[in-house]
Formats: sequence, structure tokens, C-alpha cells
Amino acid sequence: MILNYITSVILIVLGLYTVCTKRNLIKIVLGLGITDYGINLLIVSIGYNNGGTAPIYSSDLFNLNASAAAFVDPVPQALTLTSIVIGACVDAMALALVIMLNRRYKTTDANEIRRLKG
Amino acid sequence: MINVLATIKIIVKTLIFPGAFFAMAAGLLLAGIDRKVLARMQKRIGPPVMQPTYDFFKLMGKETIVPHAANRRVYMAAPVVGFVSLAVMMLFIPIGGWCAFTGDADLIVILYLLTIPAVALIVGGSASGSPFAGIGISREMVTMMSYELPLIIVFLAVAKKVGGDQLFFGFKAITNWQIANGPMIAQLAMIPAALAMLLIIPAEVGTQPFDVAEAETEICEGPLIEYSGAPLGLFKLNTAVKMLVMTSLFTALFLGGITSGIHTGITLWGIAIVDHILRALIHVAISAVITVVSMTTIHAATARLKIEHLFKFYWTAVTGLALISLILVWIGF
Amino acid sequence: MNYSHFPAIAVMGLFLGAFLVEIFGSKSKIVRNIIVFVFTTCAAALMLYLVKPVMLDGEIISYWMGNWEPVDGYAIGIGYEIDQLSMFFAILVVLTIWLSAVYSFRYMERDRHLGHYYTLFLMLSGAVLGLVCTGDVFNLFVMVEIMTFAAVALTAFRNKKGSNLEAAFKYLIVGSVGSGFTLTGITLLYMQCHTLNMAQLSSMLSGNLTPVTVLALALMFTGFGVKSFIVPFHAPAADAYMSAPTSVSMVFSGMVNKAGVYGMIRLVYIIFRAMDIEAIQILLVLLGVITMFIGVTMALAQHDLKRLLAFHSISQIGYVITAIGLCTALGVTGGLFHALNHTLFKGLLFLCAGAVLYAAGTTDLDRLGGLSKKMPKTCICFLIGAFSISGLPPFNGFASKWMIYQATYEKAVTTGNFFYAFATVTAVVVSVMTLASFIKVTQAVFFGQCPAQLQQTREVPFSMRLPMWIMALLCVASGVLYGDLYRFILAPASNAALNVTGYIDAMLGSGTAASAGIADIEVAKVSFSYWNPTAWLILFAIILIAVCWVVVFGEKTRGAVLQSESAQDVDGKYATFFSGEKSMHSHVGGSDLFWGFKKNFSGYFRVMQGIHSGNVNDYALMAVAAAAIFIVFMFVVLL
Repeated sequence: MILNYITSVILIVLGLYTVCTKRNLIKIVLGLGITDYGINLLIVSIGYNNGGTAPIYSSDLFNLNASAAAFVDPVPQALTLTSIVIGACVDAMALALVIMLNRRYKTTDANEIRRLKG
Repeated sequence: MINVLATIKIIVKTLIFPGAFFAMAAGLLLAGIDRKVLARMQKRIGPPVMQPTYDFFKLMGKETIVPHAANRRVYMAAPVVGFVSLAVMMLFIPIGGWCAFTGDADLIVILYLLTIPAVALIVGGSASGSPFAGIGISREMVTMMSYELPLIIVFLAVAKKVGGDQLFFGFKAITNWQIANGPMIAQLAMIPAALAMLLIIPAEVGTQPFDVAEAETEICEGPLIEYSGAPLGLFKLNTAVKMLVMTSLFTALFLGGITSGIHTGITLWGIAIVDHILRALIHVAISAVITVVSMTTIHAATARLKIEHLFKFYWTAVTGLALISLILVWIGF
Repeated sequence: MNYSHFPAIAVMGLFLGAFLVEIFGSKSKIVRNIIVFVFTTCAAALMLYLVKPVMLDGEIISYWMGNWEPVDGYAIGIGYEIDQLSMFFAILVVLTIWLSAVYSFRYMERDRHLGHYYTLFLMLSGAVLGLVCTGDVFNLFVMVEIMTFAAVALTAFRNKKGSNLEAAFKYLIVGSVGSGFTLTGITLLYMQCHTLNMAQLSSMLSGNLTPVTVLALALMFTGFGVKSFIVPFHAPAADAYMSAPTSVSMVFSGMVNKAGVYGMIRLVYIIFRAMDIEAIQILLVLLGVITMFIGVTMALAQHDLKRLLAFHSISQIGYVITAIGLCTALGVTGGLFHALNHTLFKGLLFLCAGAVLYAAGTTDLDRLGGLSKKMPKTCICFLIGAFSISGLPPFNGFASKWMIYQATYEKAVTTGNFFYAFATVTAVVVSVMTLASFIKVTQAVFFGQCPAQLQQTREVPFSMRLPMWIMALLCVASGVLYGDLYRFILAPASNAALNVTGYIDAMLGSGTAASAGIADIEVAKVSFSYWNPTAWLILFAIILIAVCWVVVFGEKTRGAVLQSESAQDVDGKYATFFSGEKSMHSHVGGSDLFWGFKKNFSGYFRVMQGIHSGNVNDYALMAVAAAAIFIVFMFVVLL
């Protein structure tokens, strides 16, 4: 369980590190994606109960000796789904912008793309 | 039902005393005294004391030429707005401890009203379309930026000294404090602030060495270059009234309440007219003294500064003086 | 009538409108405009209908999506909750979107693919409205993301210019980093409290901060800081405001950064109730002071009208954050009032900038000049906006700035902390610099000599002027009638920010707050005493009389006011004095002004140019570094 948290923190930090240091726009977008995955992993992990089951109220149908307290919390999973969708949208949008930027500036180097400054 | 007497009182206050007419007359008188004393300091005879008044009325009768490039409405309205805000300021600043509109204005309102004549000059000059005016307004604005910083610190020092209840920026609190504890300038901690204020007055009015905005010999009076006739006369009047407003502000902040002891007991329609006249006379006399000390003397002794030096001077020396006061007050002197 | 559905209908309506525009409006201009007008008007009407019950009667509307009401005091469903604070921001939102929509109809007419434009516009509007209405932190996050997404797409809408794409990309990267922090914070909160409902979070978190919740606070604080563009996060905002179509820039400064401010208030005042802690107050005030100073000094160095306005938006948000951070009745009221005023005057200024762009084709301050004779009505509107933002009485900026100065200095005197006096001084100096930079704009754009290529410029059409006039009128009205504004809108809103019991009780049933040990605080009534209507009425009368005097009596031969109508008049007395050098460089442009100031600050400006490097990595690094600092700070002071 603790491994999940450590991994998610590593992923988030790795993603932010990529965003802050890599000069290639594609890599920056990938960094954003990695951050998102880290956060998603974190969200899913907080809902997990060791030995928990799916949160279905039908204990007499499939009696698996599971009490209600051992359910896996369903809310974080819903949150994760939403978050994944949003992350995918953002990545798609960012990549679309990178394509158009590459067309206008003929480069994907963040150091070259700085007409707006000061 | 509207109270007739109260309405008449308000109108008299606004238009005659201490509003428009008093501001005009006393301001022009101060300007005349300034010129006369300056001439004496320079071993000249100088013009008669009434000369600014004559000039003003002469200009009011001249024709006004609005240049092609000018936006006529803004060009004509600017001096009027400037004068009105100065006249309104006189209503808020106490004269001899007596306020025309009691407790309605505080130092922040005054701070912002003080910017309006300068903004009027800037916008009017800008609207005239001249490049000389462009340079002039730039300098006027930088002058304004330079004196606002020490000015607010002086205000904060006074407010902290008065302290006490919530609305310590109000003139009423400041005047009452001084009536109770003697003039503010007698406090050791406030002397640097008073000095700073004396240095702010010439920049606010725009006299030498801080007249960079209008520098006649250099940029031909800057914002006023295209002005003529009545609007020019009004701008000249504004400068004169500014002298009165700034010296009155100094009096209110640092010499407040010293004439509040005057009580002759003679009343007319329930108004102590004699008291008011006496206080007004003493007030104008004090203003004349401050004018001579802070404007005429410095004018006679110095030559015009460059704008960047002016800015530096106010943000270092004058701000430092004001800050010393604020810190002294803050630690309890 | 059961009006508890109205907020949900308003938000859903805007999203529905977004889809309808995309489906039916891509071909026909009339259909498109009708859809946009109907849905924005509906949203505005629905929200304004709620002003009476919420603001005047003090009711708090709660609405559970799908009727998922709390069970045993545990809230799982998404709830909408409109308290007075939400209502206040909702008013700003609906006002801004309605005016911006009306303005867009003509302003955007020369662009193609307008169906997409209005889709994104309505999505942005719906997201911000949903953001201020929602009572659920995850829903808040989703709305923030939709808002960022739509805002980025709108920034890049005019994608012919590479710089617009660049701005959008930077905005997206920094915005997403901020959103990521927000989401992580929300996750940590859920981990601790197992709820996402703000009211329930507030009742659970009050007074018991654990390391996890402190981390959540720091992360969410950063997230909303990014959305409100306070200083370490401000750089992409300037680019985005400049690049977006002006009708959208107005929406950005009118409500998108207000959404961040709203989130910040909700976070520190309601969810965490952390404002009693002095360190948090000082942090907010410090951030506000830095923001206002850097914003305004950067604005002074700009050459582009829209970029200049963008930096002023940042600076004015600094005022709002400073005032919010004081945690006094006067401070919060002043901050909210300034937020309202900022929406009004900055919206007006952006609309004027858009009018200049529409009419003259550029917003470069060095290529404009003398437009006041070509566009007199825009010029008047711009002057009103400029005087409002500079805080000249009697415009609205003065009233709110007065409150902010008074509040900061009151705080300084009551706590004996010199830092707050420093905040007062900075606020005043920043106000003067704001004035200076608008003097620069009026001189560079509207006054001075008109360049030859702008001689054909004409005034903008009526449907673009109408929103400008409405804004200008509101600027004056809220400055003059601020007493009523305080009584009906500001006082309830600031009360709602300072008191959380009503918010909790409305959502979770009355008595919940009391059982969590939260009591109402007595909020002092704010007193104003600088205002004397008679004096000001007489002032207006004198202005009127004096102007009439000049106009009527000035026409006689003695003291006549003369101006030749024809520009080709050969009579030399109407010509401007050039001291013999009639040259092409006779206009004093924006970059030529304020030499004395720039000279003394040249070192500072060099450093600032270095910080605003334009490199997206730097901006992201600034955001991440600020997050790290906030985390360390909060851990040090809160634990």
C-alpha cells in the first residue's frame, strides 16, 4: 500500500521536474501527463481497502463473507475516471498547440518560443 | 421639507467662504505676496501684490484659441475641473479649527482630491496635442509620483500620532487632538514630518526648483503651451489656489487649533461672523508665512532640478524625513 | 416559486447553449447570435432573480444534484450552494458574460469559425458560473479545469499569429500545473475527511489541522493562486490577456481571475477557516502587496495597450488579495468591493482597447495617437475607466481604495504591526503609478498628433458602444451610490465570508455547525464617513454652471473660444507649436514618457525583464518553487 503513495509522489515530482527543465515542448506535455498519472494513482490508492470488495449491496446474492466496511471506496474511482478524462483532454489540447506552434515557429524548443516577454 | 437656512449656509460655504471666492481671493493674494517677496530677496522692486489678480482678470477677457489637434471638450473642461476640486478641498480643510463640512473628509480624500488639479493639467495639456505638452505632462506625472510617497507617509505619521478611535484620518480628530495637546509641530517626533511637508509644498504647487513640468525656458510651459485666454487664466488661478490649499493643509496638520481660542461672542443670524473673519485673516497670514518659508525662499536660492534628480530627491531625502517621523511615532515618541 | 433549481439550470443552460451553438450555429450568423443571446440572458435573469432571496432576505440556497441528500450527516452527492459570497461572484459573472456576448456580436464579425468561438465562450461562462455556485470541492476542480481548457482555447482562437499560440501554450502548462496541485490537495482532503462537500469539510476541519490537511491547504492555496494570477504565477496571464480576442480578455479579467480569488476566499475563510492565524494573514497581504507592485511597474514598461491592461489586472488583483488577507470586516468588504469595481472598470478598459483594435487595427502604443477626435465616445469611456482604476473621486475605484487604505492602516494600528502600514504606503504609491500608466495610454492613444495612416479611423458601431456605456455608467453609479451597494450586496457577502455557520447549516441541516463547535462571529458594521452627498452635489452643480458659463458666454467676441473646423485651414494660429521643426516625429508616444521614473528604476526594470523571460520552463518553475515555499511556510507556521 505504501508503495502506491511512494510511486505516486515519485511520478508527480518526476512530471513536474520534466515540465520545469525539459526544453522540448513534447517533453513538457509528457511531463504534464506523468504528473496526471501520479495524481490518478494517488486518488485510486486512497480508496483502496486491503481485501476489500466491489461496493455492491447484494450480500445475499454472492455471499462472500464480506462486510460492508470492507468495501473499496467507490468515490475515488469516480474521481479518477473524471480526472483521467480531463487529463486526456488537456494533453490533446497541448499537443494540438505544439503542432501549430511547430508550424509557426519551425521549432519545438521552448527557448526559441518566447516572442512574448518583458 | 428642505431646511432653507441650512441650504443657504451650504451654498454660502461652497461659493463664498471658505469655498470658491475665498480660495480665489486668498490664493491670488498669496501668489502676489510670493512674487513680491521673491523680488525683494533678489533685490528687485517687483510687481504690485495685486498683479496676479490683474493678470487673471485680463486673461479671462482674452479670446481662446483651440488648436486643430486638440480635443475641444476635454481642453476646455480640464481647468474647470481642476478649480472645482481645489475649491472643494478648501471646504474640507479646517480653517482655525473650524471645518465647513464637519467630519466628512479625511486625509485620504484630500490626498486624492489633490491629484485632481494635477490630472486636470495633465489631461488638458495632453488634449492640446502639442509634443511640448507631451514632455510636460510626463514630467508633471513623475513629479506627482515623487511627492505622493512622502506625502502619504506624513499623513500616516500624523494619523498614528492622533491614534485612538477608528477614523484617525479625519480632520476632526486631528484638530481636536491638537486643541487638547498643542500644535503637532511642537512634538519632537513630528518635526521631520513637518520639514518633509514643507518640501512637498513647492513640488505640489510647481515652483522652482521643482517646476520641471512647466519649465518655461526649456519646454515653453509644457502642458500650458497651447493654452490661451480663459482656460489659461484658470490654470494660473489653480496654481495660486494650490498655494492656499497646501499651506492650509500644513496649518491643519501641524499648526491646527492655534486660532480656536478666538471667541468674540458677536453673532449675526446665529453665526459668529466676526470670529470667522478674524480666523480667516489669521489663517491667511499664517499661510503667507508658510508660503514665504517653503516656496519663496527655496525659489530664490535654487535653480531648476532635472526630473530624474527630483524623483530621486523625493524618494530618498524627503521620504527619509517622513519615515523618521513615522518610525519615531510608531515606537511611541 | 421554487427557485432552488435556478443555479443548476443557469449553469446547465450555458453548457447546453454551447452544444446548440456548435450544432446549429456554425452556418448562420443570426441563429448563432440568437442562441448566445438567449442563453446568456437566461443565465443572467435566473441568477439576478436570486439576488432578492439571497442578498436581501439572507436565505442560503442549497440544491442536491439527483437529490443525493446527506445521510447521517455524510454528504456524498454533488451539492450546489448559493450563499451571499457565491451570489456576489455570480453577479459579477453573469454581468460580464452578458456584456461580453453583446460586444462580441460585432467585434468578432471579421473572424471565421465563430461557432467554435461561441461554444468555447459559453463553456467558459458555464464553468465559471458553476465554479462559484458549487458546494463540492471536486466539482469545483472540474469546473476549474473546464474553465482553463476553454480559456486556453479562446486565447489561441486567433491562431494566425504564432504569439497567440505561444500564450495559450504557456497558459495551459502553468494552469495545468496549478490544477494538478489543486487536485492533489483535494485528494488529500478526501483522504482525511472522506467527504468532498465544502460545508462538511469546514465543520470537520475547524481547529484540527493535521500534517496532511496542512499540505492540502498549501497545495490548494497554490492552485487557486495560479488561477487568480498572483505574483509568482502572473507571467502567463499577461500573455493570455494580450493574445485573446478583447471580448475574451474582458471575461478573463472580469471573472476568470475572480474565480481564483473566489476559490482563495472559500479555501482560507470557509473550508479551512485559517484566517484567524496571523501568519496566513501576513502571507496573503504580502502576496497582495508584491503582486500589486510588480503588476503596476511592469505595466509602466509596456508598449502594447492590451498587455498593459493585463498587467494592471494583475496589480488590481493584488489589491483584492491584500484586503482579503486582512480578515477584518472593513478589509473583506473593501476587497470584495474592489473585485466588483475591477470587473467594471477593467471590463470597460478592455472594451475600449477592443474598440481601438477594431477601429485602428493595432494596439501598439507607439503607432497610435490622436484618436480622441476620431473616436470621441470611446475616448470618454476610456477616460472614465482610467479615472476609475486610478481611484479619482467620485468614481468607484476611489471608494474601494479608500476602504483598503483605511482597513490596512486600521489593522496596522490595532495590531501594532508596521508591516500593514507598509502595505498602506505601497497601495497608495501603486495607485499613483496606475494613474501614471493610464496617463501614458491616454496621451499615446487618444491625444497628441494623429498619424497619417490613422486618418480614416472611425467610431465603432453602436452594439459595441452599448456595453461600454453600461460599464461606464456602472462605474460612476457604484462610486456614487456605494452606501446602498454596501447595504444590499457587500455587507451580506463579507458577512458570509467571515461567518461560516450559515453555510454549514444550510447544507447539512441546522445545528450542524453548533455541534462542531463553530459559533457565529459578531461582524462589526463598517462605517463610512468621508462622504457628504451635499458637498458633492454642489460640486457637480458648480462644474455644470462653470462649463455652461464657458460654453454660453464664451461665444461672444470678447473672450471668444475659437477653433477652426477644417483641418486644412491655413490660418497659422490654429496650428500646434513645433518650434519650427515640423517633423514626422512630433507625437510624444507612450514609450517616451516618464523618463525620470524609468531612469531611477532602470536596475529594477532590468531584473524584471529577466524574470519575465518568456520561457515556459521558467514560468512552470516559478509556480513549482512557489508551491514548495508555501508548503514549507505552512508547515512551519501551522504545525
